[in-house]
Amino acid sequence: MISLNQKTSDLSLKKNHALHGQSMSGAALIMQVVVDEACEVLFGYSGGAILPVYDAILRYNIAHKRSDGREAMPLIVPANEQGAGFMASGYARASGKVGVAIVTSGPGATNMVTPVRDAMADSIPMVVICGQVPTTALGSDAFQEAPISNIMSSCAKHVFLVTNTTVLEATLRTAFEIARTGRPGPVVVDIPKNVQNATLCFDGQSRLPIPGYRKRLHKIVHARLNDADCYGFFTAFSAARRPLIYAGGGVVAAGAAPALRAFSASFAIPVTTTLMGLGSTDTTTPLALHMLGMHGAAYANYAVEDCDFMLVLGARFDDRVAPVPDQFASGAKFIAQIDIDPAEINKVKKVDWQHVGLLASTLERLTRYGIAHGVKPSPKAWQAHITTLKSRHAMNYNRDSALIQPQAVIEEINRHSQGRAIISTGVGQHQMWAAQYFDFAQPRQWLTSGSMGTMGFGLPAAIGAQCARPDALVIDIDGDSSIRMNLGELETVTSYGLPLKVVVLNNLGDGMIRQWQKLYFESGFIASDRSLCLKDFVKTAQADGFTWTRRLEDKALLASTIAEFLAVKGPAFLEVRIDPDAEVYPMVPPGAAYTQMLTGKYITSRSAPPASADETRPDAMF
Amino acid sequence: MKHTLSVLLQNESGALVHLVGLFAARHCNIDSLTVATTKNPAVSRLTMVVQGSPALFDQIVRQTCKLIDVIDVSIPSLSSHNTTMNLAERP
Ligand SMILES: Cc1ncc(C[n+]2csc(CCOP(=O)(O)OP(=O)(O)O)c2C)c(N)n1
Ligand SMILES: [Mg+2]
Repeated sequence: MISLNQKTSDLSLKKNHALHGQSMSGAALIMQVVVDEACEVLFGYSGGAILPVYDAILRYNIAHKRSDGREAMPLIVPANEQGAGFMASGYARASGKVGVAIVTSGPGATNMVTPVRDAMADSIPMVVICGQVPTTALGSDAFQEAPISNIMSSCAKHVFLVTNTTVLEATLRTAFEIARTGRPGPVVVDIPKNVQNATLCFDGQSRLPIPGYRKRLHKIVHARLNDADCYGFFTAFSAARRPLIYAGGGVVAAGAAPALRAFSASFAIPVTTTLMGLGSTDTTTPLALHMLGMHGAAYANYAVEDCDFMLVLGARFDDRVAPVPDQFASGAKFIAQIDIDPAEINKVKKVDWQHVGLLASTLERLTRYGIAHGVKPSPKAWQAHITTLKSRHAMNYNRDSALIQPQAVIEEINRHSQGRAIISTGVGQHQMWAAQYFDFAQPRQWLTSGSMGTMGFGLPAAIGAQCARPDALVIDIDGDSSIRMNLGELETVTSYGLPLKVVVLNNLGDGMIRQWQKLYFESGFIASDRSLCLKDFVKTAQADGFTWTRRLEDKALLASTIAEFLAVKGPAFLEVRIDPDAEVYPMVPPGAAYTQMLTGKYITSRSAPPASADETRPDAMF
Repeated sequence: MKHTLSVLLQNESGALVHLVGLFAARHCNIDSLTVATTKNPAVSRLTMVVQGSPALFDQIVRQTCKLIDVIDVSIPSLSSHNTTMNLAERP
């Protein structure tokens, strides 16, 4: 293989690394780069093809004994590699740093496919190191060989297969760079065992050239709005009567939440966020409209229909937000979009003004320009309209039922946590109830599998988040079916003494699937009904070492149980038997426009509901 | 509609699979493809002809520009200096 890798970029002006010129094994070198890249914890599962790296972790920790008895590089071993992947993802989501997972070849690496794709779809920075069979055995159908660079190349931001020992160091360092720069994402580094065992000379700063990527990135990072751009933006803004910001996960990824808050406050612009953007504004503030989209707040969706100017920040008109792009925000005469990814501009919906660049500095520039040029805040009438929408079409549910309503459980936890807890979820109704009813004061408190919608994400992601924020209150709000997918990780919580709180909203099945079956398949509950399942979640948690466990079935005990649960110092497990017929509303049916939003029985709609839920074409439903 | 594009790619094993996989995953059929190294053996040039609507082609070009191993993309039917770096930023 002839490669550009032979050359490493010229960084000779920088001071040499303390270990520059030292001879070490490939595995020790991997460990050193991981340490240099500010990684604080590893998640991974061992195996034959990655054993040299695991041994290097052990040796590193022996050589770097700490006085407090903690390991210099803690390693969290999951029950399944998928768990390690979601832990690294939860760590990255909660901290903003690159999550690192290390697995063996073949099955270890293929178990990592789902978390890698999940991180790609949600733009989460991760580096996944996989062992591989020795280079001499590559392509021979060797024991535990899988074509990981092929498999992962369609799932990850990038994949490296390191066959040339001399570029191992540069490759791994470059993997971290690619993961965290631009639109973040997962990078997989596949490392044959002989490369791990090679004796190498440590450089301390080498990188691969990747000229195309760096050139494009440089251009984006240095793109600045000129005065004409700002003028164009504010001319449209000032002509508008009803401006709205639609903010996505890009705001969180870019660390642009403070800039967004300042911009929104300076010009009194209400903000609605996507599922991934929750926490980019403080959801308790008057201009915050919480989430929009398929299960967004009715008032947020009404504001989208009513706005005449929309600013799109780090969001991409996903089909859960804009199921019919032409009819999305159809009253908006001017749509402006700022994103770091040029491919997201005009991908789904044509915009009138765009900027490809860094969100925080761009918003700061717009704020300064607007203030300097005396741009007036949005009209008082629009602000009053937002307040009215929020009160008239507030979230609500069946408060009088004798059964425990899932929304009441979340409201009760939220009363204690006050928007300060880190919340992870599985996928399904419980995920949507959590998104709708929790408050988030800050970004990086809401960890959910947004784009892939991967069941089983919640528990391992919460473990990773607790590793990132050991002193924070971390709560996994899970579904009975979702938690089952990675239930093995309950023992990981107790093995490492993590003070995690696990809540299972048990509706005896796949509630979200049942909701769709009710609406679109004449209540044929195939594969979604688990009422005959004899599983005892509380005993499961006890068997895995949880000392505080509880099953809550009596509505009268809700408040006291939640108070006791959240006061536990260590890990705690709470199963709540909820009303199995509770549903998620509002709902914009798949493939339908916001005008067809169903608000259910308990949320006030401002229009007569559509005659039936299935006015949409079945083939448009997904 | 037929479109031609020309890609400068780092000559790495796996780079071609990555690029061609992107087209397959995005439902863009490749009618013809030639690959050869350039004077610089570390760089190959790909010339591809694909079928699709202008919107699909525009999006696939933008996605191609995001691949790490891609050095540059150009569309011969446009002027020679109109690389996709500019193209991807086109409104
Ligand atoms: C890995 C995976 N398989 C299947 C699905 C499809 N799916 C979406 S929600 C859901 C049901 C989830 O049930 P549960 O976790 O109990 O949540 P609930 O809706 O009951 O709150 C299913 C099967 C998925 N999202 N992820
Ligand atoms: Mg359920």
